[in-house]
Amino acid sequence: MTHEPPTTDLIQGTLDMLILKALSLEPMHGFGISRRIEQTSRGVFKVNPGSLLTAFQRLERAGLIDAEWRQTDNARRAKFYTLTHAGRKRLDVETANWTRRVSAVARLLKAEG
Amino acid sequence: MSLWRQLTRGLRVLTSRHAADRDLDDEVQHYIEEATEAYVASGLSPAEARRAARREVGNATNVREQVRDNGWESAVGTIVADVRFAGRMLWKSPVFTLVVVFVISLGSGAVTTIFSGMNALLLRPVPGITGIDRLVTLRPARADGTVAQQGSYAYYAYLRERSHTMDGIAAWGRVSLSIAAGGQGTAVLGNMVSGNYFDVLGVRPVLGRFFTADEERTPGSHPVVVVSQSFWRSRLGGEKAAIGRPVVLNGVPFTVIGVAPEEFHGIFTGLRADAWVPLMMQPQLRPRSNLTNASWLWLFGRLRDGMEVQSAQQELSSLAAARAVDLGQSVAPGAAPAVRVSSLTGLPNGEGGPLLGFMGLLLGAASLVLLIAGVNVAAMLSARYVTRRREMAVRAALGAGRSRLLRQLLTEILALFLLGALGGFMIALLATAALERFPLPENARLSLELSPDFRVLTFAMGVSLLTGLVFGLAPALQAAGRDLTSRLRDDSTGSGSRRPFMSRMLIVAQLALSLVLLVAGGLFLRALNHGQRIDPGFDASNVALASLEPESWGYDPAEARRFYLTLRERVEAIPGVEVVSYTGRVPLMMSSSPDEITIDGSIDVPVHTASVEVDYFPVLRLPLLEGRAFGRSDDERAARVAVVNETLARRVWPDGRALGRTFRFRDRPTTVVGIARDAKYATLDEATPSFVYFPLAQVWQPTQALLVRTAADPRPSARAIQEAVLSIDALLPHPGITTLREASAIVLLPQRAAAIVTGMLGIVGLLLAAAGLYGVMAFSASRRTREIGIRVALGADESSVLRLMIRDGLRLASIGIVIGLVLAGLTTRLISSWLFDVSPLDGLTFAGMSAIFIVVAIVASYVPARRAAAVDPLVALRAE
Repeated sequence: MTHEPPTTDLIQGTLDMLILKALSLEPMHGFGISRRIEQTSRGVFKVNPGSLLTAFQRLERAGLIDAEWRQTDNARRAKFYTLTHAGRKRLDVETANWTRRVSAVARLLKAEG
Repeated sequence: MSLWRQLTRGLRVLTSRHAADRDLDDEVQHYIEEATEAYVASGLSPAEARRAARREVGNATNVREQVRDNGWESAVGTIVADVRFAGRMLWKSPVFTLVVVFVISLGSGAVTTIFSGMNALLLRPVPGITGIDRLVTLRPARADGTVAQQGSYAYYAYLRERSHTMDGIAAWGRVSLSIAAGGQGTAVLGNMVSGNYFDVLGVRPVLGRFFTADEERTPGSHPVVVVSQSFWRSRLGGEKAAIGRPVVLNGVPFTVIGVAPEEFHGIFTGLRADAWVPLMMQPQLRPRSNLTNASWLWLFGRLRDGMEVQSAQQELSSLAAARAVDLGQSVAPGAAPAVRVSSLTGLPNGEGGPLLGFMGLLLGAASLVLLIAGVNVAAMLSARYVTRRREMAVRAALGAGRSRLLRQLLTEILALFLLGALGGFMIALLATAALERFPLPENARLSLELSPDFRVLTFAMGVSLLTGLVFGLAPALQAAGRDLTSRLRDDSTGSGSRRPFMSRMLIVAQLALSLVLLVAGGLFLRALNHGQRIDPGFDASNVALASLEPESWGYDPAEARRFYLTLRERVEAIPGVEVVSYTGRVPLMMSSSPDEITIDGSIDVPVHTASVEVDYFPVLRLPLLEGRAFGRSDDERAARVAVVNETLARRVWPDGRALGRTFRFRDRPTTVVGIARDAKYATLDEATPSFVYFPLAQVWQPTQALLVRTAADPRPSARAIQEAVLSIDALLPHPGITTLREASAIVLLPQRAAAIVTGMLGIVGLLLAAAGLYGVMAFSASRRTREIGIRVALGADESSVLRLMIRDGLRLASIGIVIGLVLAGLTTRLISSWLFDVSPLDGLTFAGMSAIFIVVAIVASYVPARRAAAVDPLVALRAE
C-alpha cells in the first residue's frame, strides 16, 4: 500500500553510512542531516524522515552516535547527533569497504564492455 | 557497551513509554518546523511551506510507529499487550475460564502426581550429596556372571587399596539401632560406614565432625556416632552441647560427634538412616555377624577426574580377578570375578526396573486423563471461538494480521494452560500428601518423601504448555482462519457441519479413552478381590505380629534366647491369647531367604528356609500332613530335625517316603520329622518353592517376629504385648504391634495402588467425557430447537422427542464404547503380570464398565433432551 517516491531508493545499509559521513563534519539535528544528504548528493537521495529517525535510534543504540537536546542557532530546541569515537572508526571501515566495492564493480563493468 | 546501550535504552522506553513518545514527537515537530522554514526560504508562502513540510514528513503517527517497531522492546510490548488482553478476555468470562482451568488442572494434576512419585522414587538425585554425577556404585560379579548387591569388608579393602581410577571407594552396611540418650531407647535405622563415607559423598557436617581414617583401623576402638539433623533436633534437644554427649547404642556407650545436614538420610530412598557409626564398631553392634568376610557392604566410589565408568570397570574387574587368584581360587579366563560399575542412584540396583515399569504404567494411565482433558478443552475452545467470530472479523477488518490474531489467541490459550498447570501442581501437592499417609505395613520400614519439587513444577509447566499447543492450535487456527472477512456477512449461528462433526469426534475420543482407564481400574479391582480370596495355605486372621531385633538392643545370643523365652511366657499369660510362637520369616512379605540343602552327600537342592519356634504350625493353623511338629525336646543338644513342605518332599523323595529321611544343612545331618502342607511363602502368585522349617533352638536366627494367636480380634491385645516386652527390659524401644493380616497385605500393594490410581483416573476421565457429551447434546438441542418445534407442531409427543435426542447421545456413546473396548482389549495385556489369574480380557469387567458408560450417556443426554422436549412450538418457530 505504501508508495515509495522514486528518489528515496537508497541501497540497504548505505543510509547509516551517509548519516555517519554527514555527522563527521559537525554535530547536526535530524532535518540538517536530511538536507545535507540531499544537497551533497545533488538531490539524488531524498531521505524519508521515518527511515531517518529509525536509523538514528539504531545507530544511537549501537553506540555509533550520541544524542542530546540543545538550542539551535534560531533558538529552537532540537535533538543534536554527534559522532562517537566508535562511529568514526566505523565510518572509516565502511568508507574503505565501499570504495573497494565500487572500484571492483567499476572494473567488472569495464571488462564486460 | 553497545549491548548495554541496547538494554538500557529499551528498558527506558518500556518503563516510561510516554516520555519516549514525547521525545519522538518533539523531534518530528522540530523536523517539520525546520522544513517549513527551509521551504519559506526557498520562496513559498508560509501556508504552502507548512503543507509541503507536512507532505514531506507524511503521517506523524506512522513515523512514530515506524521508529517504535524498530527496537527490541516493541516485541516485549506486544507480548505484554497480548497477555493483558488475554487476561481481560478470560476475566470477562469467569465461568468459562474456571471450567477450562479446572479441566486442565485435573489432567495436569493426574500426570504431575504420578510424576512426583516417579521423581521421588527413581529420578531425584540422592539429596544432600555434591557432585553425584561422578559417583558410582560397585557391585561384585561372581565368576558365573551373577551380580551381587553387596561385598565383604575384605573385598572392599582390597579394591580400595589398589584402585587408581577412583578418587575414593567407600562402603556401608545397614544396622538396626536402638539409641538411648538417657531413658527409653528409640529404634532407628543406622548405617555402619567406612571412614571416608562422608568425604566420598561430599557431605559436610552442620555441627561437630564426621569420621576420620583412624576410626577405621581397629575394630571396636571408636564408639562415636553421627546423627541426622532431625534426630538431633527431636531427641537431643537441638543444642550445640549435644556434641560430645554420651548415648547408648544397642547397649554400648557411644559419643555423639557430629550432625549430618538436614536433607541427608543415607543413600537409599525410602530407607531413612538417622545415625552413622564406624564400620569397626560392628562387633559391638552386631555381635553375631562377621565383619571381614560376610558380604554385607554396599560399595560406591567417586571416579577420578578424566576417568570414565568403562575404564573404572576394567581396572576394578582385573583387581577382583587378581584377588581371587590371591585367595587361591582357580580363575578361568572367560569366567573371572568382575566388578560392575554404574552410576549411583537412590535405589538398590535391580529394584529400579520393575518399579519403573509399574510407575511407567501409572504415568501412561495418567497421560490418558491429560489427553481426555486436552480433547475436552479443545472442544470447549472451538465452541467458544464460534461465538467470538464476529470479534475476530472486526479486528481483522481493523487491520490485525492473521499471525497477530493467532498469536493473540495462542497467548490466551497458553495462559489458560499455565493456570491449569498451577492448579495441577496444587492437586499434586494434595494428592502426594494423601499418598504419603497411605498406610504401609508397620514392618516395611519405608518412609517416602513424595512431595513435588522444582523439577516436578517444571515438568507440570512443560507438559501443560505442550498440551496447550497441541490442543489449542487447531481451534486457534480455525478461529483465525482465512475467511475472516466473509464472516462479517455471516450470521452468528455458524455455517457448515464441520464443527459439530469435529466436536462429536472429540467426544467419542474422550469416551473411548476413559473407558480404557476404567476397564484397567476394574481389572485391578478384580485382581485385588481375587488376590484376597487366594488361599495362602494358613490362617492369617486373629494373629498379632511384632518384629523383634535383640541384636540391635545389644543382646548376645544367650540373652536373646532368654528374652524370647521370658516374653513367650508373659504373652501366653495375657487373657485371650491362645498360642504364641516366633518365626524368622513372616510369610507373604515379598522377601525370600534362599539357601540350600545337600541330599545323599552330594546333590545340592535350592530351598527357602525359616527358623521357627515350637508352636509355629498351630499359630498359623498350617496343617501337617505327616509326622510331627517341633517340640520342646528339639533343643540345641538334640539331634537336628526339620519339617519340609509337600513340594520339597515330592521333588526330593519321589517315592513318597520323605519322613525319616536325612539331608545335610550347613554340614549338619538333619532328619525330616514332618511334612507340612504347601502354602504361599513370599507372594501370592509365586511358583511354590521347596521349603524347610527348622526349630529356632537348633538353627538360630536373632531377628524374629512374635506371632500371637488370639481368640478374637488381636488388636486390643497390642498394648498388653507391648507392656510384656517392656516389663522385661524397660529401656527397649517400643515394639510396633500389627496384625499378620495387615502386614501381609503388602503382597497386594501393587494391585491396591493400581486399582486406586487407575480407578480414580478413570472416574475423572468419565466425568470429563460425560460433561463433554452433555455439552454437545445441549448444543445440538439448542440448534435443533426449530426442527423440534416443527415436530411438536406436527404432533410429536414429548416422549418421542426425548427418544430422538437420547438416541442421538447413545449413538455417540456406543461408538465411543466400541472404540474404547477395542483399545482396552489391545492394551490390557500390558498389566497382565499384576492380575493373578484374572484374564486381561475379563468379560465381566468389560461388560460392566460398558454398562456404566451407557447409563452415564443416557443421563448426560437426558437433561438437554428434557429441555428440548419442553420447548413451546410457537416460541421455537418464532425464534429465527
